[in-house]
Amino acid sequence: MKRFTGQFLIVFNFLFALSIQPVLTMDLHTWSEKEKAVLKSLWIESLPPVPDDPSNMYDNDPRAVALGKRLFFEARLSGNLRVSCATCHPPNMNFVDNLPLAHGMGTTDRRSMPLVGAGYYAWLFWDGRKDSLWAQALGPFESPVEHGFTRTQCASIIIKYYKRQYEEIFGPLPSFSKKDLPPLAKPSLDEPAALKAWISMPVERREDVTRIYANMGKAIAAFVKTIVPTASRFDDYVAAVMNEDPSGMMKALTNEEVKGLRLFLGKAKCTNCHSGPLFTNGDFHNIGVPQPESLPPDNGRSEAIAGVLVDEFNCMSRYSDAQRQDCAELRFIDTDTYKYIGAFKTPTLRNVSERPPYMHAGQFKTLQEVLEFYRDLKPEQRSADLEHGNLTDLELSQLEAFLRTLKSPLTFAK
Amino acid sequence: MNKIIVVLLTILLASCAPKAQRIRVDEKHTHEHGEFTKHYEESLFKISDKGMYSVEMVLKEHALKTGVNAVDIIIHDKEDNDVVGGDIEVVPWMPEMGHGVFEKPVITEKGGGLYTVDNIILIMSGYWELRVIIKKGGMEDTAVFDFRNVTVDKGHDHKMTSAPDDLDLSAGKLTENGMFNVSYTSILEPMPINRIHSWELVVHTPEGNPVSGADISLDGDMPEHGHGLPTQPEVTDELESGKYLVEGLKFSMPGWWVIKFKVRAGGRSDIVKFNLLLKE
Repeated sequence: MKRFTGQFLIVFNFLFALSIQPVLTMDLHTWSEKEKAVLKSLWIESLPPVPDDPSNMYDNDPRAVALGKRLFFEARLSGNLRVSCATCHPPNMNFVDNLPLAHGMGTTDRRSMPLVGAGYYAWLFWDGRKDSLWAQALGPFESPVEHGFTRTQCASIIIKYYKRQYEEIFGPLPSFSKKDLPPLAKPSLDEPAALKAWISMPVERREDVTRIYANMGKAIAAFVKTIVPTASRFDDYVAAVMNEDPSGMMKALTNEEVKGLRLFLGKAKCTNCHSGPLFTNGDFHNIGVPQPESLPPDNGRSEAIAGVLVDEFNCMSRYSDAQRQDCAELRFIDTDTYKYIGAFKTPTLRNVSERPPYMHAGQFKTLQEVLEFYRDLKPEQRSADLEHGNLTDLELSQLEAFLRTLKSPLTFAK
Repeated sequence: MNKIIVVLLTILLASCAPKAQRIRVDEKHTHEHGEFTKHYEESLFKISDKGMYSVEMVLKEHALKTGVNAVDIIIHDKEDNDVVGGDIEVVPWMPEMGHGVFEKPVITEKGGGLYTVDNIILIMSGYWELRVIIKKGGMEDTAVFDFRNVTVDKGHDHKMTSAPDDLDLSAGKLTENGMFNVSYTSILEPMPINRIHSWELVVHTPEGNPVSGADISLDGDMPEHGHGLPTQPEVTDELESGKYLVEGLKFSMPGWWVIKFKVRAGGRSDIVKFNLLLKE
C-alpha cells in the first residue's frame, strides 16, 4: 500500500509538472483590462516627447544642444579646473555617480540625482528648489562644494573659448574690460567677500553677466533634455502584453520578475508614487528615511518653497522666456511648508538597479535594503501612501527582480 | 472707552491662561539629590540629571504628534522655589537616529516658574526626546523627557475613509444647500495624473440663470490617503457670465479624490463636492 502511494505520488507529480504548471504560468501572464491599462501607463511608449520648456526658448535649438554638450563636459568652468557637470553625472554611468554624497570641489549634503528624463519634471533637485532644467544647471557652478566658480568667471570662459558658438545662438556678447569682470564676484549670501565684489559692479554689468550665465544654463539644459531612457525588458514585456503575444511575454521576463511586477502594481502599491512611464509622480514625500548622523537635519521640500518663489532664475524671472500664464507650476505652488517637512522628490525607477546607493543622502547601499526599509516601517510610521502590505522575504526578492528589469541604455544627443 | 476694552480683554485673556486649568496634587518624589514635589496632576515629571531642578511638562494636546507641538514646563529648584529668569532651551532629539530639527522651539517665560514652549516641530514619527536645558547662575542642568511613539498627525480634516461603492461621480450637481447648480469640465480628458491643468466651472442658479461675479475657492483631498493636492489651485478668471476658469489643478496619484468648491455670490454661500476616481 505504501509503495502504491509512493508510485501514485510520483505519477501525480509528473502530471502536475506536465499539465498544471503551464496553466499556472499562463495565469501569471494573464492581465485584466484594468491591469493592462496600468501596464500601458508605465510603458515607455506612453512617454511623450520631452515637453518644451516655455522659460527656455533655445531648448530645441540644435546649436544650443551642441554648445550645452560641450559646456556639460567643460572642466574649466570650475575653481580647480577639474570639475564639470560630468563629474557627478558621468555618461558611462547613466549620468549619475555612485557616491552617497555628491563630490565636486568639496562634498555636498545630498546624493547626485539621475539625469535620465530630467526634462520632464516640473521641479528639479531633491527638494525641487528650481523650477526648470536651466535654472537647475546653474546652481552647482556657484556652489563652493561643487564647481566652486562664479558667474563672472563663467562669463570669462564663454567669452574666451565659446564666443562664436554663443553668439550664433544668443546674439552678440557685450564687451567687457578686465575690471568689468572681477573673478570672485557672485550674489552669494554665504560668501560675503564675493557678494561685496558683486554688488560693487554697476547694475548693467551685473545684468550683462547674469544674462550670459542664464544663457549658459539654457544651453546645458538643451543638452540634458536629450538624455532619455530606451526600452527595457519590462517595456518589451508590456509590448508583448499589448500584442497579446504570450511567447513574447515569457521571453521578456522570468516568472520571478512577473511576480514582482504583479506585487509592484498590486499588493505593494508602489504605483502610488512611482507612476507613469518614468515611474515617478515628480512630487515630494516624507517616507521617514533616517538622516545620516554626520549630516545636519534636512527638511527637504519645506525649506525650498520660499526659495524657488524668489529664485532669480525662476519661470517668472526676468531671465525666463515664459509668459506669466506659462508658469502654472510656480503660480500654483503648494505653500503649505509643514506638509513638506522632510519630504524629497520621488526619483525615477528607470535604471534604478544601476545606481546605488539610494535615497537623498545615499542612506541605503542596495535595493534590498531599500525594500526592507519600506517593509519594516512601523505601522504608525506609515501614511496610507506608504502602505505596502505585509511583504514576505520571497516577495521582496521578487520585487527586486522586477526593479532590475527597468534597466536600459540611455540615449542622448551625440 | 478704549481703555475699558483693553482692561476687559486683559482680564478675559488672563482668565484663559493655562494655569487656571491645572489640578494640584503635590506628590513627593525622593531622589538621590533630595526630595522634589510634583505639583500638577496631568504633568510629566522629571528630576534633572544633576538633581538641581524638578521639571514638570504639560502637553497641550493629548500626545505629541508629527508636526507643530506646544508644551508648558514648570521648573522648581531643590527647595521647591519657582525657577524664574532661567535661560531655558528645549531641544527635540531622535536618539535612535542621532538628529534633531532645524527650527528651535520658542520659549516664553510666564513667571512663577512657568515657561511656554511653542514651535516644537517633530519632523517624523518615531522615538523622540525633548531635552530641557536649564541655565541659571552659571550652572547648567538637563532633564530629558522621552516620547517613545510619536505618530503621524492625521489632522482633523484628514480622517481616513474608504471610498463607498456607490460613489457619486457626476460632474454637475446642486450645492449642498441647493443654492447653486455647479458643473465642471476638465480641459484635458481623460483627467491626467501628474500634469497641471485647468478646469472650467459653470455656476448657475437652480433655475438655470448664470451666476456672475461669484467668489469661488477650492480645495482637494484624497480621503483614503489623508492628504490633499500637490498644488494650490485657484479660480483665476470669469470667461463668460457664470463660466469660471480654475487653474493649477494637479493630481499626484491615482485613486479617489474629492474636490470641494465654496461658492459665494449675491450674499449667499454654499459648497459642492465632486468625486473623481483617477486611473493610472
